[in-house]
Amino acid sequence: MKLAIVGAGPSAFYAASRILSGLPDAQRLRVHLFDRLWAPHGLVRYGVAPDHPEVKNCTHKFDGAAQDPRLRFFGNVNVGGTSTIPHNVNVPLASLCANYSHLLFATGCTVPTLHSALPTSEYCRPALSLVHWYTQHPSHQLPPPLDKITHVSLIGNGNVSLDVARMLLTPVSILKQYDVPEAVLEVLSRSTVRHVSIIARRGPLEAAFTTKELRELINLPNASMMPIDKSILDTSDVKLTRQQSRIFQLLGKGSKQPFGSTEKTWSLDFFRSPTGLMPTSNPSFAQLSLAHTVVDPITKKAELTGETSLMQTSLVVPSLGFQGEPNMPFYDPALRHLRTVAGRLVSSRGNVVRNAYASGWASTGAKGVLASTMIDAYAVADTILSDLSSPEADIQDASKDELSLNQSPDLESIPSEVEQGLRENSIAGYDDWRRIDQEEVARGEALGKERERMGWEEARRYISPN
Amino acid sequence: MRKGSNGLGWSLRRREFHSSCGMCKLTTSERLTTELHGHLTRPEPGTGIKVTFKDSKGELIKTVEARDGDDLLSLAHEHDIDLEGACERSCACSTCHVILPQELYDILPEPEDDENDMLDMAFGLTDTSRLGCQVYVTKEMKEMGERGEIVATLPSATRNMFVDGEPIQ
Repeated sequence: MKLAIVGAGPSAFYAASRILSGLPDAQRLRVHLFDRLWAPHGLVRYGVAPDHPEVKNCTHKFDGAAQDPRLRFFGNVNVGGTSTIPHNVNVPLASLCANYSHLLFATGCTVPTLHSALPTSEYCRPALSLVHWYTQHPSHQLPPPLDKITHVSLIGNGNVSLDVARMLLTPVSILKQYDVPEAVLEVLSRSTVRHVSIIARRGPLEAAFTTKELRELINLPNASMMPIDKSILDTSDVKLTRQQSRIFQLLGKGSKQPFGSTEKTWSLDFFRSPTGLMPTSNPSFAQLSLAHTVVDPITKKAELTGETSLMQTSLVVPSLGFQGEPNMPFYDPALRHLRTVAGRLVSSRGNVVRNAYASGWASTGAKGVLASTMIDAYAVADTILSDLSSPEADIQDASKDELSLNQSPDLESIPSEVEQGLRENSIAGYDDWRRIDQEEVARGEALGKERERMGWEEARRYISPN
Repeated sequence: MRKGSNGLGWSLRRREFHSSCGMCKLTTSERLTTELHGHLTRPEPGTGIKVTFKDSKGELIKTVEARDGDDLLSLAHEHDIDLEGACERSCACSTCHVILPQELYDILPEPEDDENDMLDMAFGLTDTSRLGCQVYVTKEMKEMGERGEIVATLPSATRNMFVDGEPIQ
């Protein structure tokens, strides 16, 4: 098997590691990972919050998998279409398929879900653009104007929303020991943000955040939570799950620092659905209109009560989840990710396609934590391995316009665009990454922090000085 | 400060436990070579505390010998038992979830908040679930265990269990 994996995030590495360790003696096995990001590990590097360094320990396992000489990583390579990252080496999907017998999409969900009433403007930008800013993602997001604003409204209460809240509310003296770029720390140190409102359409029973993330906000040393109305926390007629009851306990107790005793404050504003955002006569504020809701106890859907309210806010940050890229083959607009059955790709005519797979968020949609991604990647890897030994009968070749994999490719060949990119030092391999990784950690050590990141131009000079 | 923390926040939890072996000071690249195995010292055969790992169907995976103080995750890694430890014993994931018999669960110190926060998200959670990295084998456990044996069962984990990223209750 010669397998191309599009993407080099956790799902790609967990799948690769399972396949390599499942076939320890296979001499004619190759696993090549292609990522438009020049550095490997996807959301572990460009998504995990800086103050969650423990989550990044999974990269040691990925480093271990990359030591297998049958695995190669090609960073800064975009497969299919044209990338939004200008320095990418672009490789058409057909060119990739001509060199591989098997294909796995582990492309994640990279497109933020937006809110129809909240178009991006100077008062509104998606949470992903803030995450990309503080992780120094190659999409080069401009810093938010934190020195000119006082009130931030996060729309949605999933873990990305709470990550952004913590970045805005945690003292810089704490953040500076982590993997936060110096330029980001500089902007954060000038922040005049005083309140972060976390707005959700439904109630605490439907809250998307996890207990850990809520606890971290609640324990912040320098920020306090606006107490939650007791009526919202009344659950006398509901049977709570374990997680719900622990979340309700935390919400009832309130933040470690009493409300009002701190310079910064935050609130969980439940049962509010944004309906519009208008500029005001004061350029520092826009006006966010909110419709009030109740949750239907049967359908669990938010329903409007007819009441509304207005909120003065300086920056609205929708954080409503992610979806796949609509221009990808096998993308299903209704699902908002790739069509799969048990990890096997399904064509637009409903046929299961031979030797082509998807794993992780590309296949399941953007949900679950690292552990769920790992379990899914292992399951898809097991499907690939079992298809190798006993192919399922009702699987068909993809139509030529969808995919045209090569049943007996040359074992060492790579797409000509990639070969050229390697000659021009436009592609980072895993060994290059290991050198950069060590250098980033060394630079961080000198600054008393976990790591100081490089951008692509600097990384490229570092790995090929001439 | 959290236990096992070096004040920087990303050290392995309860690392002081292994401080005598010196391996905890390894660099990332050095750690790679020890990755496949935890860094436990195996007891002299016949002298250790017996720990049995079973799969979700109750089938025996392996019985191994532990020293007083070994954690179940390191023990599993030392003996190539398929228990993940994605966050490397820092209590930041739920991949080393194990299920214990009631009588063993009862004598363990209560899980702390951070372990409970992770168990909230574990797949196939039971009333006697723990994170393997937080369970330390002791002689006392041996006496409580069935026939002087400590049994840890790995939960079933298949993608069929996911509904919106949550395990089916």
